[in-house]
Amino acid sequence: MSADPLPRKGIDASDEEIVRRTLLDKEAFTPLIMRYEAKLARYLERLGVGLLEDREDILQNAFIKAYKNLNSFDMTLTFSSWMYRIAHNEAMSFFRRKHARPQIILSEESEMLLTELRDEHADASRLTELRLSREGLAKAFQTLPPRYRDVIALRYFEDRSYTEMSDILEVPVGTVSTLLYRAKRALREALPDIFSV
Amino acid sequence: MTTINPQRGHTLAEQVLSRIEHEQLSPRPRWRFIVKNYVFWCLGALAIVLGALAFAATLFEITNVDWHLSTATHGNLFSFFFAAAPIFWVVAFILLILIGYINVRYTDHGYRHSLLVIALVAGLVSLLLGAGIYAFGFGRAIVEIPGDHPPFYRPIFAVQQSWWLAPEKGLLGGQVVQVAPDGNSFVLSDFSDRTWEIYAGDLAARDFAVIARGGKVRIVGAPVAATSSVFHACFVFSWETYLDSAEQESKQSTVASSTYERNVTGGRSEICKGIRPYQQLRSMDEEGL
Repeated sequence: MSADPLPRKGIDASDEEIVRRTLLDKEAFTPLIMRYEAKLARYLERLGVGLLEDREDILQNAFIKAYKNLNSFDMTLTFSSWMYRIAHNEAMSFFRRKHARPQIILSEESEMLLTELRDEHADASRLTELRLSREGLAKAFQTLPPRYRDVIALRYFEDRSYTEMSDILEVPVGTVSTLLYRAKRALREALPDIFSV
Repeated sequence: MTTINPQRGHTLAEQVLSRIEHEQLSPRPRWRFIVKNYVFWCLGALAIVLGALAFAATLFEITNVDWHLSTATHGNLFSFFFAAAPIFWVVAFILLILIGYINVRYTDHGYRHSLLVIALVAGLVSLLLGAGIYAFGFGRAIVEIPGDHPPFYRPIFAVQQSWWLAPEKGLLGGQVVQVAPDGNSFVLSDFSDRTWEIYAGDLAARDFAVIARGGKVRIVGAPVAATSSVFHACFVFSWETYLDSAEQESKQSTVASSTYERNVTGGRSEICKGIRPYQQLRSMDEEGL
């Protein structure tokens, strides 16, 4: 990381500038936490961390980990991808540690996901029905393997590009494409009444 | 990680900063990440170099195995292939390429490359480097490095020697010690240092030429009796594979004094005609292999 002697201050400062400043003064970390707190909390919820307390704990650990590893932050990545990666890894550790199953709750994003999954074989009336029952979609989403849930959540709920998903999940871009294709197919298969497979 | 959340109710930023303060945390120094990255690169490179050594050893074993005598030692090419295949080195090569991949994968941007791409690049570098090492003549040295230590590995020359320590199958190999003045027999010390009297009445001129060159030889024939140390030789081939030139020269001088020319062009006895695979060995013998 090139040392910038006078990083910009305030809300206009870029993430990278705040990182540089935080290395000199830990108080400078605050705007970065505030900038990502809500986004990451929503992401954790979409990954299936159902309880608010759990999300807070994971977020706290993620930001502490980010702070301790600030010097490993690679400026060729976006800070956002790096922070999502840490939060994602913390969430996975949480599930492993607690032997907990993700509790998927889908709200407005179910619309976007359904649109994406719709194809010429979809039964329009059943789609409307399912749209009214987000629980059905959430249930189907929950049956997916974690890797599939990850890519769908990042792509359709977090609106991440393939490159960003590659940086967050630490897999090649080609693998992201393959996972996403398989995840959509698996989700359609999990909703046989709606989609003819 | 142990979760400490002493100030629930405060903002997340306050909680994080409080914890940084409380646990006296500070960013890990940058050099640690740089060193870690270099260590992974170096381990990856080391695995590729070791993979190259394994490939050089593979090439050495493939090119120095008795392909032309496979039907004599193993009956058919298929069983010979499985006996001679350098499985140890091939497995070592594959494992090292995988280790190389894992190490590169854990470098800063290693995750961006697929297993296939990294394995292909690492494999190709190892193959080229290994071919170079083999071409410079280091194959044998590599094959000998493990010695007899690994429980599942024997150098190919030891394996081949064991194939030619089977007089009951008509296969005998060793060093020609002395040739009788009448040319009807010679003395051979086999690879287990057992001394054999070899009956040479059935040998052709080309076989004697091999004996005259000295050094180690392979003999295809038949034991005179199960318990005796007399062996009826039908064909003699040189053990040229593992003789370097210096060794060959010294062996040649030892036997040269007792060498003579013999012109045998006729067929061999019924004993030899009964050995497997007679016609093939005869044609090889005539071609001077």
